[in-house]
Amino acid sequence: MLKKIEWCPGCGNFGILKAFNTTVEKLSNSGIDRGRIVVVAGIGCHGKLPDYVELPSFHTIHGRVLPALTGIKLANPDLFPVGFSGDGDAMNEGLEHLLHSAKRNTDVTLFMHNNGVFGLTTGQFTATTPKGVRTRTTPYGNPEEPLNPSLIALVSGATFVARAFAGDMKQLSEIMFEAVMHKGFSFVEILQPCVSFNNTWDYYRKNVKKIKTPENFSDAVRISIDTLNTGIIYRTERETFEEAMMRTK
Amino acid sequence: MDLNICISGAAGDGVKEAGELCGRIFADLGYNVFIYQEYQSIIRGGHNASVVRISDKKIHSHRKYYELLICLEDYIYRMHSPYLRGDVIFDSKFSCEGIGIPMTEIVKEEHEPMIFRNAASIGALSAYFGIDFDTVEVMFRERFGEKAEDDIVIAGSAYEYYMKNYSPKMEIKRNGPGKKLVSGAVAVSEGMVNAGLEYYYAYPMTPASPVLHYLVRRKGVVAYQPESEISAISMTVGSAIAGKRSATGTSGGGFALMCESIGMAGIAEIPVLIIEAQRSGPSTGMATYSGQEDLEFVLHPSHGEFPLVVASPYSIEDGFRMAGELLNLAWKYQTPAILLTDKHLVESIETASIDENSVKKQDIAIIDRSEEIVKRYRITESGVSDYAVPPAIVKINSNEHDEFGLTTDDAEIRKKMHEKRMKKDKLIEREVSDSAYHLFFRGQECIVTWGSTFGAVYEVAEELGYRVAVIRYMRPFIPPKLRKAVVVESNYTGQLAKMLREKADIEVESILKWDGRPFTPEELRERLG
Ligand SMILES: Cc1ncc(C[n+]2csc(CCOP(=O)(O)OP(=O)(O)O)c2C)c(N)n1
Ligand code: SF4
Ligand SMILES: [Mg+2]
Repeated sequence: MLKKIEWCPGCGNFGILKAFNTTVEKLSNSGIDRGRIVVVAGIGCHGKLPDYVELPSFHTIHGRVLPALTGIKLANPDLFPVGFSGDGDAMNEGLEHLLHSAKRNTDVTLFMHNNGVFGLTTGQFTATTPKGVRTRTTPYGNPEEPLNPSLIALVSGATFVARAFAGDMKQLSEIMFEAVMHKGFSFVEILQPCVSFNNTWDYYRKNVKKIKTPENFSDAVRISIDTLNTGIIYRTERETFEEAMMRTK
Repeated sequence: MDLNICISGAAGDGVKEAGELCGRIFADLGYNVFIYQEYQSIIRGGHNASVVRISDKKIHSHRKYYELLICLEDYIYRMHSPYLRGDVIFDSKFSCEGIGIPMTEIVKEEHEPMIFRNAASIGALSAYFGIDFDTVEVMFRERFGEKAEDDIVIAGSAYEYYMKNYSPKMEIKRNGPGKKLVSGAVAVSEGMVNAGLEYYYAYPMTPASPVLHYLVRRKGVVAYQPESEISAISMTVGSAIAGKRSATGTSGGGFALMCESIGMAGIAEIPVLIIEAQRSGPSTGMATYSGQEDLEFVLHPSHGEFPLVVASPYSIEDGFRMAGELLNLAWKYQTPAILLTDKHLVESIETASIDENSVKKQDIAIIDRSEEIVKRYRITESGVSDYAVPPAIVKINSNEHDEFGLTTDDAEIRKKMHEKRMKKDKLIEREVSDSAYHLFFRGQECIVTWGSTFGAVYEVAEELGYRVAVIRYMRPFIPPKLRKAVVVESNYTGQLAKMLREKADIEVESILKWDGRPFTPEELRERLG
């Protein structure tokens, strides 16, 4: 019934999908029916994920995953809206939504597939492409410094921030479960190799590090700055957007 | 009786409020009232005016010339004197021919801030019309409750001063039971609420903001100001996906930002209502002035083909009705609807007779449980499929999709799915055919108009022997059957006239205006004559 997967063989997205399916299993076992996990995805290779899961879903337009998640959660707080964005979809088009979602602590989760490239449009640079890298639109090397998604989420007020690697399914699915269960805004940056336009498999396999969740915010900032650190970087609790809004109804 | 009073002052003088208070007194006394607010995009200084029209007949417009001018600043007096056809009441802190009232002194004596001069002007105005002070007092109490005392004292002093030094020019008597004043913004908001609105998302933009300001305080509705118009419409779509009636509102600039999402709602078959309150454009234009320049834009807001409803209310009462109508239509046909209005309608206030029963929520069947993926986009004869929301396993998609909502580029499926969506246009057309336009009066020749311009047209048409057709629905467009028409609208190119000519083969003569100020009956009489 679901669609045949169209990702390039060897793409990091397979790991992400597999880890998410494990997470959904675990959520079901914890009493959260599949129907309550609502997937929203942006446009890009990552955005094909809704066609591969038997869950309620919304494949929206480029860059607008977060406000859609927010509208869903506010309208039905019983749901668990879970977003999938690319680096282009969250850091280029619609970056403002990440800052504001983190700031308002809306109780939704965003998984950001960070492959450092626009995959679907065949390999242009994104806001997370390192300086100097040659891509289809930077033939002489990227002239800009990259953004650090986890750091941005953290300083914008996200109450759950994690970084994971698509090649470590155990860690990734654990983080995914924690992120969905977290009350408040959860942001998970997933380092995702793109075999066609930015093959980082070897690099990440060799270099990613696991961290222990630090005790305080400033340590979390320090840890997030090293883009190879993976694990739950920060976790705290404060009133969610939905709680604050429902008081006014 | 027919009076036109202008209260004018600088921004920050409380002129807008004074106009409303003045209108309330006459509405309480049973008169028909229409209040036009003209102001600049300046918080202090500048020039604001509130024109209060009072009549024993039903009216939907203010007039150009005033029988009474209340003036709080001398430089403003010079701007308004050409329109004065009667007396002026002014703050005697400056000199002028007319009825001086020491408003500044009265306010100083009570140690109140200068904005209270608006209460003094209400006192003086009531004395001028020979209105019993009790009526004024009751009005202040109803409006401000316990906080009314300071206003009453100041209005009372001005009233007494007037009575001591001048004599009343008229003796206004009760004209029947009191009437309620309603602004266009409140009418539109309440119309949506009556049709089941639960969520409203909007980014502030004049002149749509009053709807947001009203709804954030309205119990039963969650209204929220997100980071941008793009976010506002995305949240609106999100809430509709979760099964709740939701809407957004903006003006031209913000609407431009929403365009991509409108097409998305079209292909994904998500019901959303978008209010577009026009101001003078293009671009930032004249933010606080009215216009009807966005019709052509709003009719085709997004790429690709999809069913869309565009309609424009012609009065405050119609604003209530239409807001409900459109929200119901959006849900029934699962597609975006746009309520195209304008500053003059949204921000004006009138003794409108809102018929609560004229708008009711029309429920649609919603599937909210399923074992497997719902055929959310089932190909049906009518084009309408079952609406489904989580926790049903429902897949909503901005990509072309099959009946389950799974992405496809299969030629056959695309052909059928696109056709299924487009079929809804026909159903909508059938449904609104009786309310596509409204007709008034008899007459050989016909004036065609739309939106708030109707107010001035309505008034002069009868007197000059014209029939009036006011267009409500622009998409679907079902024009009246006419050979010839005079088309009155507030833009430069005659956008409605063009539609009538091209789509209905009507020989049109345009009367146009694009200075940001709405038509007045006087002006229209001259142009028609
Ligand atoms: C408004 C808009 N602009 C541009 C595009 C074209 N587009 C499709 S996917 C994409 C980039 C996707 O990059 P990313 O989010 O990183 O996803 P990936 O393919 O890498 O998973 C772009 C620019 C679009 N669909 N919509
Ligand atoms: S282009 Fe890159 S991101 Fe897209 S499917 Fe292929 S490998 Fe994956
Ligand atoms: Mg990418």
